[in-house]
Amino acid sequence: MRIINDVIEQISHTNLEQDTQTQEVLAQELDKILDALLTSSEDISAAIISSVDGHSKAQRLEADMDEHRFAAMSSALLALSDNIASEGGKGNTENVLIEGTNGKIFLLHAGPKHLLTVFTHNCGSLGMPLAYAKQATEQIAALMEVLAS
Amino acid sequence: MDKIIFAGPVGAGKTTAIGSISEIPPVGTDVACTDESAQIKEKTTVAMDYSYITLDDGTRIHLYGTPGQDRFDFMWQILAKDGIGLVLLINRDHPDPLHQLGFYLNAFADFIQDTGVVIGLTKSDISDKHDISKFQDFLYERQQIFPVFDVDARSEDDIKVLVHALLAVLNH
Repeated sequence: MRIINDVIEQISHTNLEQDTQTQEVLAQELDKILDALLTSSEDISAAIISSVDGHSKAQRLEADMDEHRFAAMSSALLALSDNIASEGGKGNTENVLIEGTNGKIFLLHAGPKHLLTVFTHNCGSLGMPLAYAKQATEQIAALMEVLAS
Repeated sequence: MDKIIFAGPVGAGKTTAIGSISEIPPVGTDVACTDESAQIKEKTTVAMDYSYITLDDGTRIHLYGTPGQDRFDFMWQILAKDGIGLVLLINRDHPDPLHQLGFYLNAFADFIQDTGVVIGLTKSDISDKHDISKFQDFLYERQQIFPVFDVDARSEDDIKVLVHALLAVLNH
């Protein structure tokens, strides 16, 4: 919750009518969330936060990864997953897991309008990276709620 | 499998058109718009629309709608694979619909070359500032003679005319 308190503190010193300033604060806070996520687990190699309609909001991707393509691809995949889950009678998507031969990727909702995509090395257990990612989605959702209010 | 692709810019009516002729509740991937598209509409397709219709001879035609924004062009390639033809919808109410027509004809140039295309001009009830002849002249200048129709994306009859026109083009 430290991050959320930080942002409330910052916004109170920011003229909320200045949308660009709000966007700057948002970008800084999203960067902090991603930095914390990547340092939380050595298994996590990269991550991107994007909007549900496929715009990149913050990223810690590797140099050769195009943030705009990954943002768009993530939103498309998660939207289809939501359909499969709901039409299959399985409720909402908790996460989507891609098991690649060289590592795993998972996608999670982060509040109603954002999502988080996390890339891992070829790690044995997915438990801890997934737990840290879920924690990050809760922080993103809380941050967006504060900014929307 | 006979598969038709619906393409065109944001707000042209692709999702609506597929819904108009669909025999089943269509599969959609609408999400909230968070950018300038929100001024046009609340929701936008990010992966695909899917549905099907059955022709009088029993042939099932599968309908795939693409996302409009070019950041989703990877989906255009995925969805167009093994497609038999393209329905291109262009919003006549847009400030520069000819530019949009040219952009999508170029983006799907290889697919159109291999298959065929018909063009539907939507929202003609809102705007008449771009006469249909302008689109025909534009195509003529590009040496691309394709069928162009004024359509209402909400009209089952109008969209069926487009689909049947495409099938006629493909059979020649």
